[in-house]
Amino acid sequence: LEEVPRGGHDLTKNEFAHPSSEEIQSWMAEAFGMAKDALENGEVPVGCLMVYEKEVLGKGRNEVNETKNATRHAEIVALDEVLEWCRARQQDPKAVCARTVLYVTVEPCIMCAAALRLLNIPLVVYGCRNERFGGCGSVLDVASDDLPHTGTSFQYISGHRADEAVEMLKTFYKQENPNAASQRPGRSGHGRAVPGSSCSCSFLVSSYDPGVSCVYRVCDLTLMADAGV
Amino acid sequence: RTPTLDGPLSESANTRRESGRFRPRRPPPSRRSSSRLPEPAWSARPVLSDAQSADPELLDAFAAPIVDRRETARLVRELAAVRPLPGLRHVKRVRPCGDRGKPHPLEILVCLLSDVPDVEDRGAATLSSLLPCESFDASGLGQPFLAKVPASPPLTRPQYERASAHWPTSFHEDKQVTSALKGQLFTSAQKAKMQEYMAAAVRAAEDGRGRGMDAVGAVMVDPDADRIVATAHDLRHGSHPLHHAVMVCIDLVARGQGGGAYCYERHPACGFAGPGIKGEQRYICTGYDLYVTREPCVMCAMALLHSRIGRVFYGSASADGAFGTKYKIHTHKDLNHRFEVFKGVLQQVCSDLNPETTS
Repeated sequence: LEEVPRGGHDLTKNEFAHPSSEEIQSWMAEAFGMAKDALENGEVPVGCLMVYEKEVLGKGRNEVNETKNATRHAEIVALDEVLEWCRARQQDPKAVCARTVLYVTVEPCIMCAAALRLLNIPLVVYGCRNERFGGCGSVLDVASDDLPHTGTSFQYISGHRADEAVEMLKTFYKQENPNAASQRPGRSGHGRAVPGSSCSCSFLVSSYDPGVSCVYRVCDLTLMADAGV
Repeated sequence: RTPTLDGPLSESANTRRESGRFRPRRPPPSRRSSSRLPEPAWSARPVLSDAQSADPELLDAFAAPIVDRRETARLVRELAAVRPLPGLRHVKRVRPCGDRGKPHPLEILVCLLSDVPDVEDRGAATLSSLLPCESFDASGLGQPFLAKVPASPPLTRPQYERASAHWPTSFHEDKQVTSALKGQLFTSAQKAKMQEYMAAAVRAAEDGRGRGMDAVGAVMVDPDADRIVATAHDLRHGSHPLHHAVMVCIDLVARGQGGGAYCYERHPACGFAGPGIKGEQRYICTGYDLYVTREPCVMCAMALLHSRIGRVFYGSASADGAFGTKYKIHTHKDLNHRFEVFKGVLQQVCSDLNPETTS
């Protein structure tokens, strides 16, 4: 675990108090519990929660398949719950988000990192890195880059139980997917699905774009995990 | 701006028939400043990767005149053996001397400066300090001089021209990139279509502005069927702070495919067309073109990548834009989907929508 937060330049956001390491451990334990729960129910094992002053305002899991919208990552779903919480209580979303920490088992992608900036989230604690799409240091560092018109930069703490997060993803992709085509060629199968078949995360692959992999970042992440990274 | 050979399009956007079936309502054209005047000239310019648009990196090298032309073939052969230039296959070994006043018509690349770390005085280097004198017959070569050679093969014609100014370089031309850079990639008919689609995005932006939103509009187009699949405007000050026009448009495409996460009933200018060709199974935004009035931010750019967008056309740049200004998400080597992005479609009209954010 990297105890020193990386990224972010303007953490003078209000009087935002950093969570203690006990708090981080306990919230991450809950995020991992969600990921395990997802795994046991045949879902992509990523857990994510948004915590505001010791209260969970949002939880999320990947909804890409059911919405046919490739932007429905767990973080975006959880942010929707936070916004809904603010609406119901007539709270200013930006003020609430500026004191809300995201705990997530996998590094947020570039899109989600930008969304977190746009809503002024000050801190992200994540498990394993996302070498394919990561926006908090792996592919880009959207969290800390100088983007004055894209909300505020945020800090992140990476590597919390990273091996465990990768293991869960590996376990998920080793499972036989009833929706997946049997003729998936090659090692691991992910991202090399046959036209008209499904990738193992059950995202339908188009019939005319045989090279395409499933959309959700975690499937690509598994390629990385399989490669022993 | 550089004028294009295509020239200005004579027809204004409002005289053209809407191609998409979706058009919930059309406000009177008299309100529309962008529809009253003929569109100024615009050209769609490709947003190339850094590798394609950077100035050529140059390496220091030593060259020498060939004083006896009959030695040329032997010198080329033997230099290739004692001073090979690995990784510089694009660099031609011999060049004609540019200066007609000089007595020797050819010059040959002897070695890279990095090949001869012991040479201290670059200006006074001799052939014997550059070449192994015991094994190399330097007859036919004149006094060496410093030259610069391009470190990597040029990828575009402008790069080729800049590189060749230093030393002759081979170039495998990508004709499409060349004509795109000249503004000649699209025919007048294609440009008319592009203008029509962008005009629809502009109308959506104006609709949004009329409802107190940021004036940003986007349309998703199925280029094969030549129809608008979804139309959206910015809703960040309306329903949701993350509902930028592109995010709304992506979700409306999903709605058209039987999915979707949000409802936009309160925003009549945001909508989607019904299913297209019967039995057609679309995979998110694969094969679609997005027209958006302003360069997308990094969230929207990555959302388009996740959605496997076909191509993106935008009007004007934005300060934190991720398709050319701050990032080039569509050309990033570590990301697993690459696509073409063009900027400058109806640039002036789009730029006028958001004067404060346009760079």
